[in-house]
Amino acid sequence: MTSLKRSFASDSSAPNLSNKVYVRSTKSGKVQKIVRELYLRQDIPCSSNLCSKCAQIAPTDYNNKVAPFVLSDTPAGTKAFPNGHYLVPDTNAFLTGMDLFEVETAFYDVIVLQIVLEEVKNRSLPLYHRLINLTKNEDKRFFVFFNEFRLETYVARDHGESINDRNDKAVRKAVQWYGEHLQEAVRARGKSLRCPSIVMISDDKENLRKAKAEKVPALSLSEYVSGLKDADLLLDMISAGREQRENKSGKGELFYPEYFSLSKMLTGVKAGTMHQGIFNVSPYNYLEGTVHVPAFDKSLLVLGRENSNRAVSGDVVVVEVLPKDQWKAPSTKIIEEETLNKNDNADAEDGETIVSERERRALQEEVKRVHGQSVEGRPQPTARVVGIIKRNWRQYVGHVDKDSVRSSSKSSRSQQTVFLVPMDKRIPKIRVRTRQAGELLGKRVLVTIDSWDRDSRYPVGHFVRSLGELESKGAETEALLLEFDVQYRPFPKTVLDCLPAEGHDWKVPKSLEDPGWKGRKDLRDLLVCSIDPPGCVDIDDALHARPLPNGNFEVGVHIADVSHFVKPNNAMDKEASMRGTTVYLVDKRIDMLPMLLGTDLCSLKPYVERYAFSVLWEITPEAEIISSQFTKSVIRSREAFSYEQAQIRIDDKSQNDDLTTGMRTLLLLSKKLRQQRMDAGALNLASPEVKVQTESETSDPVDVQTKKLLDTNSLVEEFMLLANISVAGKIYEAFPQTALLRRHAAPPKTNFEELGNQLKVKRGMEIRTESSKALADSLDTCVDAKEPFFNTLVRIMATRCMMSAEYFCSGTQAYPEFRHYGLASEIYTHFTSPIRRYADLEAHRQLAAAIDYEQLDPSLHSKAKLEAVCKNINVRHRNAQMAGRASIEYYVGQALKGRIIEEEGFVMKIFSNGFVVFVPRFGIESLIRLRDLGTPEPESEFDSENYVLNVTGSRNVKVELFQKVKVRISDEQEKSTGKRKIRLALL
Amino acid sequence: MPLDTSTYSLALLRLDGRRWNELRRIHAQISTQAAADGSSYLEMGNTKVICTVAGPAEGRTGGAARGGAGSEAKIEVEIGFAGFSGVDRKRRGRGDKRTAEMCHTLQTAFSSLLLTHLYPHSTISISIHILSQDGSVLAASINAATIALIDAGIPMSDYLVACTAASSPTTADDEVSDPLLDLNGLEEQELPFLTVGTVGGSERVSVLVMETRVRMERVEGMLAVGVQGCKRVKEILDGVVREYGKRAVR
Ligand SMILES: [Zn+2]
Repeated sequence: MTSLKRSFASDSSAPNLSNKVYVRSTKSGKVQKIVRELYLRQDIPCSSNLCSKCAQIAPTDYNNKVAPFVLSDTPAGTKAFPNGHYLVPDTNAFLTGMDLFEVETAFYDVIVLQIVLEEVKNRSLPLYHRLINLTKNEDKRFFVFFNEFRLETYVARDHGESINDRNDKAVRKAVQWYGEHLQEAVRARGKSLRCPSIVMISDDKENLRKAKAEKVPALSLSEYVSGLKDADLLLDMISAGREQRENKSGKGELFYPEYFSLSKMLTGVKAGTMHQGIFNVSPYNYLEGTVHVPAFDKSLLVLGRENSNRAVSGDVVVVEVLPKDQWKAPSTKIIEEETLNKNDNADAEDGETIVSERERRALQEEVKRVHGQSVEGRPQPTARVVGIIKRNWRQYVGHVDKDSVRSSSKSSRSQQTVFLVPMDKRIPKIRVRTRQAGELLGKRVLVTIDSWDRDSRYPVGHFVRSLGELESKGAETEALLLEFDVQYRPFPKTVLDCLPAEGHDWKVPKSLEDPGWKGRKDLRDLLVCSIDPPGCVDIDDALHARPLPNGNFEVGVHIADVSHFVKPNNAMDKEASMRGTTVYLVDKRIDMLPMLLGTDLCSLKPYVERYAFSVLWEITPEAEIISSQFTKSVIRSREAFSYEQAQIRIDDKSQNDDLTTGMRTLLLLSKKLRQQRMDAGALNLASPEVKVQTESETSDPVDVQTKKLLDTNSLVEEFMLLANISVAGKIYEAFPQTALLRRHAAPPKTNFEELGNQLKVKRGMEIRTESSKALADSLDTCVDAKEPFFNTLVRIMATRCMMSAEYFCSGTQAYPEFRHYGLASEIYTHFTSPIRRYADLEAHRQLAAAIDYEQLDPSLHSKAKLEAVCKNINVRHRNAQMAGRASIEYYVGQALKGRIIEEEGFVMKIFSNGFVVFVPRFGIESLIRLRDLGTPEPESEFDSENYVLNVTGSRNVKVELFQKVKVRISDEQEKSTGKRKIRLALL
Repeated sequence: MPLDTSTYSLALLRLDGRRWNELRRIHAQISTQAAADGSSYLEMGNTKVICTVAGPAEGRTGGAARGGAGSEAKIEVEIGFAGFSGVDRKRRGRGDKRTAEMCHTLQTAFSSLLLTHLYPHSTISISIHILSQDGSVLAASINAATIALIDAGIPMSDYLVACTAASSPTTADDEVSDPLLDLNGLEEQELPFLTVGTVGGSERVSVLVMETRVRMERVEGMLAVGVQGCKRVKEILDGVVREYGKRAVR
């Protein structure tokens, strides 16, 4: 038998073949050995525009295109490298300095080595994605050099050498090769060109030492940055973690318990002895966190710093439930970090304890409280955090705590450690080292958390950039957008390139033979109109109704045909899918799609022809649906009404044209539809909506009003709901596994326990939650004859007990779970606002495929991809809502600035040392603390069973839940967050 | 873990350093087992396959398995995966559906290629052992079977050669996607791909298997590259056969 062993002769034909062997362990604990081939080659270009030799070997793709060379032939220089330089950072340089690499003033012409990219990916995916984005940014000139595949730069791992050492060696080798290669290239061109230096950037001392020995030019990140122009500013952006760890290693005082190992946690979670969930911090008490885990009905409480063990709100944590005798009731006390730890020294390294004495006292008082019988007082399971599965740290907006700054002189360049107080109260103070403390005072700044070690009471972070003066409109708006992760940069060119070339001159083609007309119904003769808020420019929807010969009506909802303009997977689609939704702020709109589409080509403007996606029903006068039909169409809207104009037109008896009659029909039908929905148990919930009136020139807020609701509001709403429900059914029928739908889960009973008990104790009323119908009915009975607003107040509070609705992919849930609780509909989706919501755009594509108008893009077939889309748009949707609310809050604050108003309010929550008052006129709620009532701080007695707070001492007053109170509204700048906020005082 | 296929667009380099149109190293030997009528050993990268051919033999006695019915030889194909062939040590049972489908593919392809009418009432059995899997297993099996059949001296109209082709992932900004030739295991897991087999390295496609979803407009490019790849595989295998022939004559 011939030997199967490969002969050496056959190997010599491939001298450039190497094998890469590595071992990895899987999640389940198995160890796998993986062998991979590596083909080493010599035709990987250096991508420098100086080199003509590489230009000849540049690879071509299938279409014979050559990628353009990236690195400049005249790169920028520094004092140390007057001939210009290309940078070759190692992995740690990227890990600690990614913010730096992204600045626009420096860090051009960077060579990213394959091995570095690989290591960055292993260490942090978000950083990897940022790095990839940098390589795609043409201005920054980042080039990925595949050093592992180039014969000359490939290095083998020596026996006994650690992987890290081998990789460092590979980096040095690549730097060396680049240096020699470029010199050769420059020499070949003959002219007296300057040959740029290749500079390795590394923070690893050993690596730097070896580089020096091998005569490879190398600098540490901070050394390099020090040689740049705005060194101080840039130096602050280097991640703090590393440096500080070095400083502190000596003192070994550890405040926090060590985290469990990942495998221990996974085993524990599997065995049920530990639980995994998302850590949330109470907005009223920064020392109280909750983790909702499937095993418990009620969320687990995590009390105090030691137990929360460095978890930051939003992190995915693993917790261990504490013994039953340590179970506690959730706090009834407001505890704010700013008042307790005012005096902490940011620099303090000695005598710092994990729990300050004041914190301990505050918590102890809590425990002393008698465990009452009321629902609120019953002890709840408590837990402690034993480890973190995933950090959810992002960039935080905040301001520098004045008191933590040692020398606030603007000229001082000494480095000091200061506290940064995030705008989000649930995030702890962040320690930041900076050389520009003086300049940052009074500014809105952006920071990131780098690490939180066991020996530091607060997380350590670094400064990213300043947004501008506190309270200036620009800075506050940007702060808000950053806080809610709203992508607000102008659309990049690649996106704008996807727009129709005709621009604003685009028109529906005249000829019916045009491909644009294919599969479209000509509905231009229908008397269609749109009804929107005043000043609306992105008109998503339009309606019509006309009588049919058989006595029924034909009703049509026409939606902007956005999917005609936004094709799946092009740059515009990607951008829209990332943005997820348009964000409406008081004075600003951050569009999901470029203006040209949103406010012109897609917008169903009056008097012009537009492409639409229409839903047509035959409806009986009793508002029963006989049939529904979906079609792409062309319409011409006859008029764009505001809600008010439409209402006036309908009410005006003298108008009897077909358009007005159509609108009356719509109104009539909508009322019946609404009744049907209510009978089925749809909820009528309330959320305070206010409108800020701004002076158009300056957009300074002038007044605040609560929004008025007209019949025409609900006219539009009813038909939009109907369209959404019809479409949901259709796409689910066509794509049972991958339809993009929206569901609203029934709230768990425990959510309503507190409200139910409050109503029972205070008013003898009952809330029933077994179905949405029961809830709707019982909410209707919660009326106070003397106080019309009481019912609305209860509805506002009930809304907060609800789950939030979410997008999902139909294959991930069982049919009964599709239900939309609030609308009492079996199935629901979003279809009617494709200009401003990405979910609707996807639904359009699915519907178009369901009616065989076009083929479905594969991305909409894939459950995994759709799930990712849903996950993103759910987050974006929530953020957009919160950003909108925060914007209103800011403007209400500005509108009331300097004014003092007395208003009525209602007590909606009581703590043992304060209470929350809601003011309907402005839709605001605010905390009144005990210490705000008088000085010295009055005594209080809290009756948690009856929700009564008896205040005695410097002020004698009795406050109870639902009580109507008179308050004085003024404004103040909140110290902890730097926000201008409403301040209420009890009269 | 190393990078994934999405980095292809950064420098037009694949996970193992190849360009879009490059085959992996192919190493092949024939007559590796003297006891068999025909045998071969073939490596495409780290995919390693042994093939033995028995027959043509008169139908076995007894039972229904009595040779090919009528005037043509019957071809039997058996594929076995060694327990150590994959990353995880796992047994693939005989009843495994995917294996059965591979056998069927080989069987139909060779039935039309071999001059089976020369051997009525007999059986040709091809037995393939996968020693190591690293992508393109079906293609490697076809190639190994072809040269083993040649070794066995069974007349056929031409070589049947196969390779795989995929479509590279698209980047965020543009729709351009390169077809990639001859996938390794990792690429196979991440990319849509097809296996194409042609007769004699011509453009006559006789095997085409695709189990993943891909955009219609990409198929053409994938197929073109696959057919080109087959042509090169044919040249390599032909070289191996001729080299062996020369040595045998000497
Ligand atoms: Zn070069």
